[in-house]
Amino acid sequence: MDTDNDNSLDRTDDFDNGDGKPEKMFTLKKWNAVAMWSWDVECDVCAICRVQVMDACLRCQSDNKRDVLGKQDCVVVWGECNHSFHFCCMSLWVKQNNRCPLCQQEWCVQRMGK
Amino acid sequence: MSLGPKEVNFNEVWGNIRETAKAVITLENVNREVWSNRFSDVYQLCVALPEPLADKLYFETKQFLENHVKNMLLSRVQFDSSKYNGEPHQGNFDLLQAYYDAWTEYSKGIGYINTLYSYLNQQHIKKQKISDTEFVYGSQSPNHQEQMEIGELGLDIWRTYMIQSLGDKLVKQILDGIKADRHGDPSITTQRAQVIHGVIHSFVQVQDYKQRSSLKLYQELFEIPMIIASGEHYRNEASKLFQTCTVSQFMEAIIVLQEEENRRAQRFLHSTSAVKLRKECEEAFVNEKLDFLYSECKDMVSQEKKKDLRNMYIILKPIPDNLKNILIQTFLDHIKNEGIETISILKGDNIHIQFVENMLKVHSKYHDLIVDVFENDPLFLSALDKACSSVINKRINEKQPCRSAELVAKYCDSLLKKAKTTETEIDSKLTASIIIFRYIEDKDIFQKFYSRMLAKRLIHEQSQSMDSEEAMINKLKQACGYEFTNKLHRMFTDISISVDQNNKFNNFLKDNDIDLGINISIKVLQAGAWPLGQAQNTPPLSIPAEFEKSISKFETFYHTSFSGRKLFWLHHLCNGELKLSYLKRIYLVTLQTFQMTILLLFEAAEKFTCKELQDNLQLSSDSFHKHVQSLIESKILLSSSSENFSDETVITLNMEYSNKRTKFRITAISQKETPQEVEHTMTAVDEDRKLYLQAAIVRILKSRKVLKHNALIQEILSQSKVMFTPSISMIKKCIESLIDKQYIERTPNSGDEYSYVA
Repeated sequence: MDTDNDNSLDRTDDFDNGDGKPEKMFTLKKWNAVAMWSWDVECDVCAICRVQVMDACLRCQSDNKRDVLGKQDCVVVWGECNHSFHFCCMSLWVKQNNRCPLCQQEWCVQRMGK
Repeated sequence: MSLGPKEVNFNEVWGNIRETAKAVITLENVNREVWSNRFSDVYQLCVALPEPLADKLYFETKQFLENHVKNMLLSRVQFDSSKYNGEPHQGNFDLLQAYYDAWTEYSKGIGYINTLYSYLNQQHIKKQKISDTEFVYGSQSPNHQEQMEIGELGLDIWRTYMIQSLGDKLVKQILDGIKADRHGDPSITTQRAQVIHGVIHSFVQVQDYKQRSSLKLYQELFEIPMIIASGEHYRNEASKLFQTCTVSQFMEAIIVLQEEENRRAQRFLHSTSAVKLRKECEEAFVNEKLDFLYSECKDMVSQEKKKDLRNMYIILKPIPDNLKNILIQTFLDHIKNEGIETISILKGDNIHIQFVENMLKVHSKYHDLIVDVFENDPLFLSALDKACSSVINKRINEKQPCRSAELVAKYCDSLLKKAKTTETEIDSKLTASIIIFRYIEDKDIFQKFYSRMLAKRLIHEQSQSMDSEEAMINKLKQACGYEFTNKLHRMFTDISISVDQNNKFNNFLKDNDIDLGINISIKVLQAGAWPLGQAQNTPPLSIPAEFEKSISKFETFYHTSFSGRKLFWLHHLCNGELKLSYLKRIYLVTLQTFQMTILLLFEAAEKFTCKELQDNLQLSSDSFHKHVQSLIESKILLSSSSENFSDETVITLNMEYSNKRTKFRITAISQKETPQEVEHTMTAVDEDRKLYLQAAIVRILKSRKVLKHNALIQEILSQSKVMFTPSISMIKKCIESLIDKQYIERTPNSGDEYSYVA
């Protein structure tokens, strides 16, 4: 339990009542919310390096990219076919073969993760 | 006088030279003119016509020197010894002194003679000298009668006539002298010591000119008997001490004696002998009495008699490592026992604090001892490490895993949580805890616990200071590397980013003139980094209208900053502050989103059955009951049945609720670690270990192509050391499962060899 006994509270609320608005029984004052983000992908494993897209790709992991903030540089890229891969993996892939490894359609970037 | 070669009368010139040489060798005064004339006489003889007389001069000079030395021996050194039957202490005759005087005179004189003959030396003798290479490859027969430089010749003559005949007697007297000195005989004065020193060194100087084995004479004639005699003396002393002394007195006596012997060696002996003498001394006092020395070793260690241990260390330091083992092992066992004792008596709620702090006490106590007493000797430091690691990783019960990793993680947690300690104090305690952490074998278990506790601290804002949090992560990174702390770093970063994001979101609201009516703060975590279990498993919730607007605004805002991301709300981790205005006083309550949602329903009606509430919330009955229960326990809600809930149980708002405080928190259920959670952690760790090992095996074989079983095991053990120590059976299982999955295979010709399947 919080220890601070807030005496000023009653007065401020009296003031609120003076506004004449109908007082609700419960009023939400503050909300500390927690959410989790992940890439909006159909398959959460990159088909090229077989690592979860939320983690850095194999190459980046073994390079031990020591950016101090732990910020992820290894983002995800979506093709027109809606398949997604690590951007690092895909940029190496297209050098050999400009098709999506999953559906063989010509690779065309739809959007990049940020 | 012309310098050109001419005929000379050898006898006449030699007569002159001999006269001068005689004067020189007895250190009489020779005036400069005479000296210069003789100098050119030598030259004249060497270049004489019709043929040089150098060889003749050499021969005559040799004869002259031989006669001189023989004469000296008879008249000055040996003179009385026959009379006194070889007992030099009778009468006034003193062989050592006589020899010393003769030698001092002769060695000086021969030096001058050498200069006098320098033309002969330079032009005649140097030329016939065999070079080093010739000597090594043996192109000259070793018996070749070689002419020596006059100085060398003189020394050689001294050795042949003087030392050959007197050597043994001299050595005996020297040894008597040293013995007397050992017994503190006052007759060995500084002056006497100088005589003895001079005599001993004459054995060296007389062969100093030799390019190789110049110490041979000294060693054979004097050093060997000296070492033998000293050895006898030491053994006598040792057995005398052995009979009368305790170990600790014995050690003190040895140290004093070694000091004295060292000084004695410097006073009398050639510098190369000190080491040999010391060795003999160690042999007699230490190696041969090792059992005796060790007999009280255990007591000294267990009673921590620093002075004795220090002495013991000084004495044992120079001897080979394997002999020191008993001391080291005793020391190790002692630390281990003390360690086990201190951790076995732990009890109460704060075992984790006691565990770490007690272990640290033990560690620092013995670390200090090693610094003080054992000169920071790496052998002892590694014994300390071994002892600590065996205590810390000891399993009290074979079936249960070791709890140390968990305890250390908890200790860090308790430090990093809000408390009244200052940041510096926290920091120094955390630094100390790393000492214990390094000994933990199951570092992966520590990692699991630590990351869960870190997650709780960060989400519930329980950290005392974010700087301390970051500092600790960096300390762990230093100890275990980037991979170990990668996720911890990402968690930490998420929180820092969120602070920034909240500011931006508030600005966004202001700019767009949106009033959400509530004070909102949102943490966005990245999936995969946080140990929150499967996010999908968290119960879904029908979001109350109060939150919906905030959520949708935030999502809009979030998608303008980032793309390709989806958000998933973790309601079980959210909390909020609710103002209750229906009671006599106004209260501000902090509670979880679920509890809030339940309460908010009562805005519309006074009472609900459990079923109605549950339908509204769409929660699983299990978690629904927990949340309702917590509200009933805090007396904000009332239940019609005092025991278990059923669907028909009626829940009403307690209109009479009162609390001394106007601002309070309803603790969410189970923020504490439950036993199931611990067990869950352990199974998760086990799974991770298998994956880790399999990955390691594949990596190793991929780079080595083919590897023997034992080599593979070694490699795996060394790789996994940073994280944990796998059991051999676990490694074998992983190898089997990889063979089944056809990642690797046994090579056809050998049963214990594996190869990588491409």
